[in-house]
Amino acid sequence: MAIVLSIDNLSKKYGSLTAVDQLTLQVEEGSVYGLLGPNGSGKTTTLGMVLDVIRPSSGSFSWFGEGISKATKHRIGALLETPNFYPYLTAKRNLQVIADIKGADHHNINKTLDLVGLATRSNTTFKGFSLGMKQRLALAAALLNDPEVLVLDEPTNGLDPQGIAEVRDLILRIADQGKTIILASHLLDEVEKVCTHVAVLRTGKLVTNGPVGNILSAKEQLIVSADELAPVLQLLERLPYVAQFNQEKDYVIITLQEGYSSTDLNRDMFAQGIVLSQLVARRKSLEKQFLEIIKS
Amino acid sequence: MNLLRTEFRKIAPYRTFWVILGIYVLLMLLILYSSTSVEINGKALGNETYQFPGLWMRLTYIAHFFNLLLGILVIVLVTDEYSYRTIRQQVIDGLSRAEVVLSKFYMVVTLAVFSTVFLLALGLYFGLLYSSDKSINSMFSQVDYLSYYFVQAVAYMSLAMFFAFLIRKSGLAIIAFIAYTKIIEPLIHFKLPDTLDKYFPMKALDSLTPMPGQEIFDQLTSPVEQLSPAWAALPSLLYIGLFLLLTYLLLKIRDL
Repeated sequence: MAIVLSIDNLSKKYGSLTAVDQLTLQVEEGSVYGLLGPNGSGKTTTLGMVLDVIRPSSGSFSWFGEGISKATKHRIGALLETPNFYPYLTAKRNLQVIADIKGADHHNINKTLDLVGLATRSNTTFKGFSLGMKQRLALAAALLNDPEVLVLDEPTNGLDPQGIAEVRDLILRIADQGKTIILASHLLDEVEKVCTHVAVLRTGKLVTNGPVGNILSAKEQLIVSADELAPVLQLLERLPYVAQFNQEKDYVIITLQEGYSSTDLNRDMFAQGIVLSQLVARRKSLEKQFLEIIKS
Repeated sequence: MNLLRTEFRKIAPYRTFWVILGIYVLLMLLILYSSTSVEINGKALGNETYQFPGLWMRLTYIAHFFNLLLGILVIVLVTDEYSYRTIRQQVIDGLSRAEVVLSKFYMVVTLAVFSTVFLLALGLYFGLLYSSDKSINSMFSQVDYLSYYFVQAVAYMSLAMFFAFLIRKSGLAIIAFIAYTKIIEPLIHFKLPDTLDKYFPMKALDSLTPMPGQEIFDQLTSPVEQLSPAWAALPSLLYIGLFLLLTYLLLKIRDL
């Protein structure tokens, strides 16, 4: 897979504060890459640097294997923090200004407004828009040039549940077209629902990164009980893929190693003549995992 | 030129822009209508104002006071880009920093062309109406004052543009611009000999539109040494280049 964005030892210091600390990561073509971290963890600063509006203190990055230039910028659609438009211009005129700058075909404007559900409001001035509409107009602006890569910074911020669902749906639809999406979010749930890869940031440092499945969903917990717990405990000690187990009252909580599931455990138990009266697979709460990741 | 077209897209429906420009036009008209009673050096001008070819000098001298308004207009246009954060978005979308500066400079030149053409129209109108000598020769013999005025307007607005990019907040930028042009530099002039301060930005720019009747004034007091308009054009052009360069460097160094 081709590398769309490569970040190498990128740092940004504001005086004594290090907003981004020696960040290194790569985004592959076709992935939906989540930058996950609490507020103030350096997500926006990182995106600002790779989008050419914040000067890195040190380190480097490249888009499509090249430095950033007008040509590479035209292959990227990005929205950083808030939707930025002229309040006194209509939605359509705002997009005309952006189409000029992106060198985009002005015929795309109506099509894109339609895509984000603003076709009927194209002649409303930006200041008359609700937050959700502003966010959707920003998405339209990012999509105007039919870019290969979408960079979205908290795209569902401030939206109501329906708006959030719509935006996520739109992101997934765009990802289905084979486009690369880089998404910064402090919402774990969002990253888990939308992304294929994730990098977790904390105070400017990369804590961990990889496919979402490995980082966020690998640790499944199983709860088992049986009429007789003793043979169960004996077997658990011998099974190589059991990472950890704890007995609680009349059930056992088990954590399996990566790549194994409740099926494996159930099969082995049955093979040993143990019949479980209960087998529940429980995902460790995502919030809990997230907090563990950023604390460790 | 595409940059200029985009600028026009932004300002066409922008009421603030047209209001400021309208005020400029109205004030110029008002001043010219009433300038028969304006006294320069204790002498009422009367119909003297409208006589070719001295009219061009008087006209550009009056107009130069209103460069302040044009400067404020430019400051509003630039600081808007910061308060709406559109400058950031536009750099993300593909503008280079040089293009950001150029697009505003094109606007500056456009405004200067507008005000120069406006002055030409005003001059011709009032001159043809009131001047006793309407020969082509006398009409246009001193029309070169308009070109000096053009340079001056561009330079004033370039300085305003620099202050706007430097300070980023409209109110503060306007105050800084007025404070520098009207207070700080004149104070520096006080301290320095004329031979030196005649090359300072404001003094060089003001020399482009000299005060009518300066000669009489000089006879009464010790003469003020200043550059002739033609000579002042050279440092003025250099200052325009300097303001543009400083603005560009500012954008280059700072985060958006």
